[in-house]
Amino acid sequence: MLNLLAEPWGVIVSHARACYPRECCGILLGTAAEGDVRTVTTAVACVNAYQGEQSDRFELDPKDQFEAQRAARRQGLEVLGFFHSHPDCDAYFSATDLANSWPWYSNLVVSVRGGEVSHARAFRANDNQTASTEEELRCPQS
Amino acid sequence: MPTVLIPTPLRPHCGGQSSAEAAGATVGEVLESLTAQHPGLRQHLFNEQGKLRSFVNIYLNDDDIRYLDKEASAVTAADTLTIVPSIAGGRA
Ligand SMILES: [Zn+2]
Repeated sequence: MLNLLAEPWGVIVSHARACYPRECCGILLGTAAEGDVRTVTTAVACVNAYQGEQSDRFELDPKDQFEAQRAARRQGLEVLGFFHSHPDCDAYFSATDLANSWPWYSNLVVSVRGGEVSHARAFRANDNQTASTEEELRCPQS
Repeated sequence: MPTVLIPTPLRPHCGGQSSAEAAGATVGEVLESLTAQHPGLRQHLFNEQGKLRSFVNIYLNDDDIRYLDKEASAVTAADTLTIVPSIAGGRA
């Protein structure tokens, strides 16, 4: 289960709106507890590093991930996963999302319609990125 | 020995550790000895041709090795390597 606190959820919503109609992306930091409950305490808004049309593609800059890993280690947190938006499109985990993901991480997808956040869902990829399963999501809006 | 920082998804393949020490004078050698100690890591770091997978970025201290000498970048005992997963996606 992915539990988003109000502050990081606010960061995600603002970033998704600001980047619309392009995809936004970022990193989720927090704690992973027994029973597979992951609590996101910090969301880091990142630049979409995809070279090309960004309305339907995103790429995280490895440098941002490196910095986030370092910040997480210093604060005793984990990199729990990542978020990105789907402008004018539902929140699903696409074949491209799956192929470019890593196992274990939570992948939060936010649907943005007409510039406003519509809904969000979370997914995890299996070990060889051939399938994903939806993860229960708790965020302030839902 | 150089230290390698392991991202969470790879820790199960590395005895649950968040970091490991591995010998070597270059980035390639360090990763080679790391995967010799932890064979389960190999498929996540290298492709069938023995090259670093495109899904994997390696930092030597603060620098991406793509902008150094790649796997031939020289490493000393005090250095830290960080394994950084590549993440991207798209609607289709
Ligand atoms: Zn997507």
